[in-house]
Amino acid sequence: MTPLQFEERYQAEWQELETALDLILERKKFVLGAEPPRGERVAALYRRACEQLALARARSYPLFLLDRLERLTADAHQVIYQRRELGAEALRRFVTFEFPAAVRAHAPYVLVATLLFAVPLLVVGLLVYFRPELVLSVVSADNAAQYEQMYSDAAESVGRVRGASGDWAMFGFYIRNNVGISFQCFAAGLFAGVGSIFFLFYNGASIGAVAGYLTERGLSATFFSFVVTHSAFELTAIVLSGAAGLRLGHALVAPGRRTRRESLVHAAKECAPIVYGLAAMLVVAAAIEAFWSSQRWLPHAVKYGVAGVCWIAVLAYFALQGRSAD
Amino acid sequence: MASEVDAVVSAETPEGILLELRPAGLTARFLAFALDWLIRLAVIYAAAIVGQLLGGFGFAFFIILLFALDWFYPVYFEIGRSGATPGKKIMGLKVVMDNGLPVTPAASITRNLLRVADFLPFLYGFAIVSILMRADSKRLGDLAAATLVVHEPKAVPKIKLEQVEPVIPRQALAPRDQAAVIALAARAPTLTAERLDELAALAAAVSGDAGRSGRVVTHRVLGVAQWLIGRRA
Repeated sequence: MTPLQFEERYQAEWQELETALDLILERKKFVLGAEPPRGERVAALYRRACEQLALARARSYPLFLLDRLERLTADAHQVIYQRRELGAEALRRFVTFEFPAAVRAHAPYVLVATLLFAVPLLVVGLLVYFRPELVLSVVSADNAAQYEQMYSDAAESVGRVRGASGDWAMFGFYIRNNVGISFQCFAAGLFAGVGSIFFLFYNGASIGAVAGYLTERGLSATFFSFVVTHSAFELTAIVLSGAAGLRLGHALVAPGRRTRRESLVHAAKECAPIVYGLAAMLVVAAAIEAFWSSQRWLPHAVKYGVAGVCWIAVLAYFALQGRSAD
Repeated sequence: MASEVDAVVSAETPEGILLELRPAGLTARFLAFALDWLIRLAVIYAAAIVGQLLGGFGFAFFIILLFALDWFYPVYFEIGRSGATPGKKIMGLKVVMDNGLPVTPAASITRNLLRVADFLPFLYGFAIVSILMRADSKRLGDLAAATLVVHEPKAVPKIKLEQVEPVIPRQALAPRDQAAVIALAARAPTLTAERLDELAALAAAVSGDAGRSGRVVTHRVLGVAQWLIGRRA
């Protein structure tokens, strides 16, 4: 069969498939005389086009024929094997199962990340508490003075520089800042995990230094009542971002029986739910920090009570939620 | 059709067909990035003006927009129908999975979050090195997300030269040789007359003109191509 005979014989099928794809992919809104495409017909035409492409290739038909069939099959392939991952049902499944299950599946990484974060926090915190001048080796003198002012009794709202913008502005600021830091902490894991280790350690040390310093200055009551609620979400999320980054790094350093690249792809896929989840947690944390933690009129007892509920809820969520479906 | 010089990545479909994906190189991707960057800048500028009018709430809106543009501008467009940010679309690029399927939301988010790693040590240094070193032009984020940035295929024009009369080949031709002659005819409109003559002289044996060259011989070789694709006098 010559290429032109081949084209003539199957022309009609190709045109039908092309029209259907144009409509499905919305390249054309409307084609004169064309019916709305039916799924089984498109699939059947696609399989036929695949056969014809294989034949055309085996017979070394001219490029314009191969090219037309290639574009036809590539487009149809994209349409037929499309996956819809978004939607309310997917979201419900994510919250009730995928996120906590992914965190539990990465328990060793979470443990290591927690230690990498908490140990410098405690050590630096205690060091600074007993020798306050050490705070200057972690934060600058200006910043230390600023922190002191933010948590002093004179501050209009806790945790903010005087005269700074209102609750909403701070909400935006916290989201951008905190989610950005946690994404960086995750992505830096691509360098054999070293970047994540650095971010965890650095954040732990700076938070520890500030906490130790403020406690030593006698501002512990204001400071801890401020941070205790949103830290349930914020500190957990930072640790989780580090854990996900460590997973990436570990996949590269010790790929096991996979190639390094396959191992990395696999790890990225597995820890993706953790990254979405922690971003959501940081938005919650930002809302609490902006609209609740900073309110001066709330009694400390109420703040500690709510904080206790939040911490228990977060820990129980990761420990228990969706376990029956595991 | 893949050869040693083409940067083509093949992806096999369940139907046993190899899809040919053509990864986009550094220049195309850089230009697409620059266009996207300008678009984002324009949006930020407009939002700053609007935000200013709204006070504290406007500032929150502005800064959340900055955050969203930083991290999710590419994701939003890549998981849309075209699989490409406006910049990529203008450059005729799109993001697909390694197997040629539309990029999944998870993969799109992964490749865009890992931009941070690609950006290091400065100005997308690792991304540039990775794109230049790899035949499939992946940056680090593409490696982890199993995605490719490919050229949208463009239609190849049909073999024209209808005024050329079909000529019966003077020797039996293997499919490979037939394909070579037909490919020459397809490229004919894009070549200069002199170059076309040179190339046709190499294939002159098919029309029984071995060893000769010139306008007439070229015409006869193109005639053989017409016969091979199925035209008869």
